[in-house]
Amino acid sequence: MTPKSFQQIDKFARDLPKEVRATVYDGSKSTSEKRYDSIWRDYPETADVLRETAGKVKQHTLEHLDQYLEQAEKSLTAAGAKVHFASTGDRANEIALKLMQERGVKKMVKSKSMVTEETHLVPYLEKAGIECVETDLGEFIVQIDHDHPSHIVKPIMHKNRRQIAKSFEREGLGDYNDDPETITRRARVHLRKKYFEADCGVTGANFVSAESGRMVLITNEGNARFCMAATKLHIAIIGIEKLVPRDQDLSLFLNLIGRSGTGQQLTVYQQFINGPKTPGQPDGPEEMHVIFVDNKRTEVLASECKEILRCIRCGACLNVCPIYRQASGHAYRSVYPGPVGAVLSPLLAGDKFPELADLPKASSLCGACNEVCPVNIPIPDLLLCLRDKGKREGAKNASAGTPPMGMYAMMASQPSAWKAAMRLGYAVNITPQAMMNVVPAAQAWTSVRQLPKWRGGKFRDWMGEHDKDAK
Amino acid sequence: MNTLDRQVPASKSIQLMATCLCDAFFDDVAKATVQVLEWAGCNVEFPEGQTCCGQPAFNAGDWKASRQVVRHVMDVFQGEKPVVVPSGSCAAMGFHGALLEFEKEPDLPQVKQLASRTWELTDYLVNGLGIEKIPGKVSARVSFHRSCHSRGTCTGPSAVKLLSSIEGIELLPFGEQEQCCGFGGAFSVSFPNISKKMGELKIEHVLADNPDILASVDMGCLLHLGGIIDKSGREIPRKHVAQIIRDALVEAGEIKE
Amino acid sequence: MSDDRSEIFSRIKGALEPLPERTPLPDYARDLPLCTVHPDFPNAWELFAHKSKQVNGTPLKGLAELAKWLIADGQTHGYCDPALVDKVRALPEFNGITLETEFDRTRFDDFTFGITKAAGVIAETGTLILKDQSTSSRLGALAPWVHAAIVDEADVYPDVRTAIENFGDDPSIIWATGPSKTADVEGILIEGVHGPGIQIVCLDA
Ligand code: SF4
Repeated sequence: MTPKSFQQIDKFARDLPKEVRATVYDGSKSTSEKRYDSIWRDYPETADVLRETAGKVKQHTLEHLDQYLEQAEKSLTAAGAKVHFASTGDRANEIALKLMQERGVKKMVKSKSMVTEETHLVPYLEKAGIECVETDLGEFIVQIDHDHPSHIVKPIMHKNRRQIAKSFEREGLGDYNDDPETITRRARVHLRKKYFEADCGVTGANFVSAESGRMVLITNEGNARFCMAATKLHIAIIGIEKLVPRDQDLSLFLNLIGRSGTGQQLTVYQQFINGPKTPGQPDGPEEMHVIFVDNKRTEVLASECKEILRCIRCGACLNVCPIYRQASGHAYRSVYPGPVGAVLSPLLAGDKFPELADLPKASSLCGACNEVCPVNIPIPDLLLCLRDKGKREGAKNASAGTPPMGMYAMMASQPSAWKAAMRLGYAVNITPQAMMNVVPAAQAWTSVRQLPKWRGGKFRDWMGEHDKDAK
Repeated sequence: MNTLDRQVPASKSIQLMATCLCDAFFDDVAKATVQVLEWAGCNVEFPEGQTCCGQPAFNAGDWKASRQVVRHVMDVFQGEKPVVVPSGSCAAMGFHGALLEFEKEPDLPQVKQLASRTWELTDYLVNGLGIEKIPGKVSARVSFHRSCHSRGTCTGPSAVKLLSSIEGIELLPFGEQEQCCGFGGAFSVSFPNISKKMGELKIEHVLADNPDILASVDMGCLLHLGGIIDKSGREIPRKHVAQIIRDALVEAGEIKE
Repeated sequence: MSDDRSEIFSRIKGALEPLPERTPLPDYARDLPLCTVHPDFPNAWELFAHKSKQVNGTPLKGLAELAKWLIADGQTHGYCDPALVDKVRALPEFNGITLETEFDRTRFDDFTFGITKAAGVIAETGTLILKDQSTSSRLGALAPWVHAAIVDEADVYPDVRTAIENFGDDPSIIWATGPSKTADVEGILIEGVHGPGIQIVCLDA
């Protein structure tokens, strides 16, 4: 029997096509296993020390963000980059468009960047008449399907090869062929032309070292390299939380991010960039612009959940999360899915927090996310904080299906009432309402499971006898 | 996860927090806990006024309601004695959860005081009392579900240490052992579909080994898993680790049934 | 725009101001992130070669080896760094291979391999280091199916941390650990997505 659903994410999971669930489940499980194997193989003694240290470095950076952001600005400027600031996503889009229009840009190629998903950069530029091409294979497929990424590292975690082959056929990229190698080669040929036609490359960044201004871009495919070899203008759009203090700190993060995300010792390409191409280099951008974006990050910084800003977007918490594995990323209705998204998305929603206040409920609080997080974010604690916030702000979708707690709290702080209810339940072998909490909850319980026999008060009787015997 | 420095208690006088689930359903687990603690030389006090640890409301996000219950817990469990709980999750509520919801409250120091003497049962036996070996024999192939609230605490290793010290017990490794069973308190009723899927997956992995006993240190997990198993009509005995230890002690003639 | 800047900084200051204390930068050991779990090798190059092969990289020793590899693979037309081309052409093994010293982007398909200078390698991870100042053409090192980077023995760094300490003042440094790859389609590993499908590092011994 299929139980009734109270929560949107539970509903989404219930109605998810079997095939999609299997694809997501297998993909996230196998990636989790790779992470586990690589991190414990390479750091059998120190894996957790490494995570904790990395977490502290990020926490330190966030708690001195004004200093480091200013330092990064200076370093980048000294190295020949131009630095811009955008307080909102819209402002970031405007700045990028203006830079492009001033230089007559008609076509841009772009590597994967979560912050541009937040700002809806691509639809914004397209509206202004600029052709935009996503070059990460997964993002490219998302783009031609007018879909949304369902994972922050593997955007098409939810698609199988047959769906992709159909999309390629529809887009005129060859006859139906679902061999992953053929799909990849066809994308290579198609996108290669796009790089050479483009006038501008847009990227995000995984880290920025305040010390040198070097931004670090991490990819496996080499698409970000191409964006920066074939075009003349480089625009990097970067969340202000991406900073780390020094170049040397990168040795911590680079060793963690590949292993955590995909089980690789290092991701294939790490680019360290703090300016336009070097004189004498025939290829690559003559101008580099960095747009630092706030888009509510400072609000998160001021909240009780600032630790979530440590996130380096490795995706490990998604892969290990039993709820993500059942529901898939689209269930979270936001740019960031999974455990990180359940914290970050409602916070980044600002005034619209109540609309996403159910996300922090989508967790059994099992703590697997915290255990794998390379920057040791206490995600379950943050989810709990946001549940409290949702309750205080009266967010309706957050409380759906959760039994009200007033009656429980009253009973549980009055021992005589509590004990009476325990015994009453025993007498009639039902769960007293105040215990399991009112009808829908009890129904939801029994639609899935049986309850054992009620034995309220039995232990107290035994203990009373036992104490008498002892005397 | 237990962020406070724990004092290894000098006296073996303890207060038992039996948990609401044992109060309502699993009296034998609480009984076994008393028997095991007394075998270990403890003087067990059961404060009559106890009810629940406050976790249901805490997890549901109703921190105000939860604080009301925690304040009651502080009233009932006064003094310096260790508070021993046969549940990883209720113990974690005491030494971790309560600290979170009292961060800005004036009575935070009292909450900290209680937190610093709250112990999960197997953790207390191993790290509080220094017990390494349980005498007696239990011939059983056991699947031990390490409940999630024991992540990052001493509970998992302690329970495994005690179980494997019992003659005749074979601990079975099973697939995706680290994954949650899908209980999660209020989660189990507000996300029934996902909760059920998680539970079924766990059961599938456990049953693949055909164990004699499914064991845990959390009756919450076993209430949920057991409920799904019973509903499906299959049969597999579930036991709290305290019950298995008690059975071993009875077999050894160390205690009476 | 300067408004955005001051707004962001004042919001950050406002968010941090109430903090009673701030987390200090942890002082961690230099070799904390160092991965030491691997067999022993007589020198750093051998460790590099071992690690590189683990990620399907192709380590070679000596330019003659490179020529043999290219010929065996049927490679006959490629790009070569003008500063290396005389030395390469002088080797008889390169007979029959056409080398161009300019990467013409209008004929990008004509180049099936590219030879450029490496700024170094990292033994710990099997990583190739390219720097903008010593790479004759970004495209020549990226667009062809095969990329061969020529590295001097003196530029073999033991680990990630040392390589970072030797960044210098280059505006664009690239680390490449094995060939370009993706696992986007059902998690199946495919090499050669946008970058080289074969990544050779050749020790100029
Ligand atoms: S929260 Fe942690 S585990 Fe999750 S994506 Fe961010 S860094 Fe990775």
